[in-house]
Amino acid sequence: MRPVKHTYLWLLAAFVFSVIYLFPLYWMYITAIKSPSEIFASPPTFWPNDPDLSIYPDVWEAREVPRYMWNSLVIAFGATGLTVVFGTGCAYVLARYRNIWVDVGLFLVLMLQVLPASVMVTPLFVGFNQIGLLGWPRTAVVLGVAAKSMPFFVVLVRAAFMTIPRELEEAGLVDGNSRIGAFIWIVLPMARNAILVCALLIFMQAFGEYIYSASIIQDQKLAPASVGLKTFLGPNSKDWNAIMAYSAMYVTPILAIFILLQRRIVAGLTAGALK
Amino acid sequence: MKRLFISISDGKGFDILLVGLAMFFLLALAGIPLLYNVLMSFQEVDMFTLGSFIRPWAGLDNYRYIFAQPEFWLVMKNTALFVFCSMAGQFVLGFGLAIFFQQNFWGASTIRGLFLVSWVMPGLVVGGIWSFILAGDYGVLNAILEGLGIIDEPVFWKSDPDLAIWAVIIANIWLGLAFNMLLLSVGLAAIPRDLYEAAELDGATAWQRFRTITLPMMRSTIGAVLALGLIGTLQQFDLFPAMTEGGPANTSSVTQYWAWQMSFKQYDFARGATISMLMLVFVFMAAIVYVRSTRGEVRG
Repeated sequence: MRPVKHTYLWLLAAFVFSVIYLFPLYWMYITAIKSPSEIFASPPTFWPNDPDLSIYPDVWEAREVPRYMWNSLVIAFGATGLTVVFGTGCAYVLARYRNIWVDVGLFLVLMLQVLPASVMVTPLFVGFNQIGLLGWPRTAVVLGVAAKSMPFFVVLVRAAFMTIPRELEEAGLVDGNSRIGAFIWIVLPMARNAILVCALLIFMQAFGEYIYSASIIQDQKLAPASVGLKTFLGPNSKDWNAIMAYSAMYVTPILAIFILLQRRIVAGLTAGALK
Repeated sequence: MKRLFISISDGKGFDILLVGLAMFFLLALAGIPLLYNVLMSFQEVDMFTLGSFIRPWAGLDNYRYIFAQPEFWLVMKNTALFVFCSMAGQFVLGFGLAIFFQQNFWGASTIRGLFLVSWVMPGLVVGGIWSFILAGDYGVLNAILEGLGIIDEPVFWKSDPDLAIWAVIIANIWLGLAFNMLLLSVGLAAIPRDLYEAAELDGATAWQRFRTITLPMMRSTIGAVLALGLIGTLQQFDLFPAMTEGGPANTSSVTQYWAWQMSFKQYDFARGATISMLMLVFVFMAAIVYVRSTRGEVRG
């Protein structure tokens, strides 16, 4: 495609749009290091008069960030692990064949993808209570989150498997591999990058998960960072610099990973979501 | 036994095992809970019957109870407003930005990618940030609007009963805009360039090209994006606890938040399940549009 005229004008406009769009992020980082009185200044200051980074260690300590973050990590790793282990094989089979059963399976997967967590949380809670799983609340949340994210993972990873030529796998079978061998040594390595990118997406979503954790986990010692944030965030909160410092510590790792791997994530996401 | 083992390692059994494990997992943790939700909406569930599967049959009592609630129509109206305005905002702004970034200038795709950070952020954090931006007395949005001369006195976005739902809508548009833009960009990129060049040679204006080439070529993408927008908006939950908790006086409550409150604030699980059932009607309508519009793509 031929380039547009006045490239720098377009770039300037793009820059302005992204400054407006990303302003909430800037505001989060900048509010965190303002003094408690400066937060309520009217008109607000766009750069802190007296930047104070000590809020970070204070909040880290007072709000027990390490414990909450650890629980978030446990839940995110558990849910991602389950999703990848169960979802990859399913995506592979759904990509390998084309018949009525595959269509039925895909239809079911797509329908499950649309179920809102706010609908599923009531029956999951009551059901988990009946089978005694509420005694292991983090496990219960991991199961719920994995079931929620698996359809999405299957759809995306299936698209990646579709791009691998059947002939490669068949050649492997002729060479004496079993089906398991061909799957593990030939098909999986070729889809590795796509699987990793999708797993990362699932991980980031599970890391920020709130509704299942808030409903199922009663013990704050086992709760993830989202629930920890909710303990002092609400319609009447005033402690804004602590909230923003907590938020910044919570999201910065995710944002850093996202920006580093942006190209791959976007490519993996668009391959399966839509053409 | 040996034949079974061989089939699993080297035959049809292998495929059935792989699909079966995932399907069993989804059935146990999504399919059965969904049916259980339907069942519970027809049962009486209280603290004494919570632990047993056999509970008194309530028939349509739960539904009658929900319809008779004074906030029922308010919540329905809020949900309609929330869904429609969020979708419209996300779609229109997302489409505009997608067309903008479709122009071939240096850095376009990198800057576009940056927009997607909103999509990976936890909903609760996004709600917290917007809650602070939209604060009445010291919120930065009011300061900016006053500075530009658009408003004279602060707008109490979160505490004004007429505006509370709009506060959540604004945050939700911000949250979903980037994903809409990305999907629409993919659709735009698939339109052959020569169509535009031919139209340009024939003297078509930019608006004519948009109306006669872009829109018709994007029809299936637009259908899928709108369906996904509807699904995503009905799935949006985290912004409500972070920003308004449905208040003041339920004026920003929507079905998904009301259902959760019923189950986990009032511990009335049967009625919570009943409200979710009403919501599922809309979710499945969106799902049918979505499945239809992606079927060709997904089947490959």
